[in-house]
Amino acid sequence: MYRITIVLVFLFSFFGNAQNNAVGANEKLVFTASYNMSGILNNLAEVRMETSEVKTSKTTLLRLKCTASTYSKWDHFFKIRDLYESYVSPTTLKPYLYKRDINEGGYYKAMKYTYNHKTNTIKTLQQKKKKDGTVWDENKTISVQSKTKDIVSTLYGIRTMDFGNMPQGKSTELIIVFDREEFIAHITYLGKENISTAIGNKSCYKLSIDTNKADVLKGSNSNIIWLTADENKIPVYATFKIAVGNGELKLKSASGLRH
Amino acid sequence: MRKVFIILGLIAAILAVILSVLPLSNLAFIPAILALAFGIAALYLTNKSGASKKIIHYIFLLTVLSLAFATYKSVFSRPEVVNTEELQEKEIESEQEAIDELEELDIEVEDLEGINLE
Repeated sequence: MYRITIVLVFLFSFFGNAQNNAVGANEKLVFTASYNMSGILNNLAEVRMETSEVKTSKTTLLRLKCTASTYSKWDHFFKIRDLYESYVSPTTLKPYLYKRDINEGGYYKAMKYTYNHKTNTIKTLQQKKKKDGTVWDENKTISVQSKTKDIVSTLYGIRTMDFGNMPQGKSTELIIVFDREEFIAHITYLGKENISTAIGNKSCYKLSIDTNKADVLKGSNSNIIWLTADENKIPVYATFKIAVGNGELKLKSASGLRH
Repeated sequence: MRKVFIILGLIAAILAVILSVLPLSNLAFIPAILALAFGIAALYLTNKSGASKKIIHYIFLLTVLSLAFATYKSVFSRPEVVNTEELQEKEIESEQEAIDELEELDIEVEDLEGINLE
């Protein structure tokens, strides 16, 4: 599931602090994650991406939530229940708080990032479960670059990019922090393509993703994402090559879209 | 040569049966088709030599069983997610904790001006 998450990061990565006109509150996207072997697809998990408003006494933020759950037939073999969240500015998708809580086949880990944009630092808290059931905390403050974002805000940030005016072949650099480490990824705009999806036949922006983190995504031009070429720019389909083979993410349903 | 095909056919047929009962049942089609091919080749050679066909019948029987089971699963079983209550509870708890933490943060007001989420 770590790899799926990393793939998702690239699928929706971020571009500076562009204004958000694509992501609204109450949006709900449901995907099916599958593993492809010799052309035969095996459904592994359901990935949900939801947004909602979060009100504090001072302000209103946007909660970006991603969950991954294995289908019941897999639960006896390797049960996954992952939760990723980011609390961001609704206008720029600038993150303020990130939380990750993963439970994968009995392995538990939680991570929290609290951003300080003035000092370009992130206060992190990592929690892991020991064999005896006790939780072990580790606090650490890390310095990051000003445009570094976490996985989930990056996930949505790509939708603020203006692909309509982007020349074909243009590559954009992204800086992502995952497991308290920064790494660089590139998204290349490959042009428009029509594809058939669960929400009809859609004209889509086709993007390729690659990274300097060689243990995550394999091959060049093997990791492709399609975003609808409309104002919502929702991801509808993605294919990726990982260490253990090929996978794909396919949109199952979409509701609460902004436009 | 006949023995080689019989052994390969048996291995492929057993693998198909095993895969067909696992969640990866779609993959059972690959060894099942191989088992059929090896079985037909073994049957052809057996007809020429006039030896016993009993073991080849087992290959076909196992293959048909695995194909039937894998087809049934791929047609009738719908992928569904169950036992998500714990995750849903965690989502609610996490949001509440996050709100408490966000209250303490110094969030720049200019970044949040002109909010229009609809």
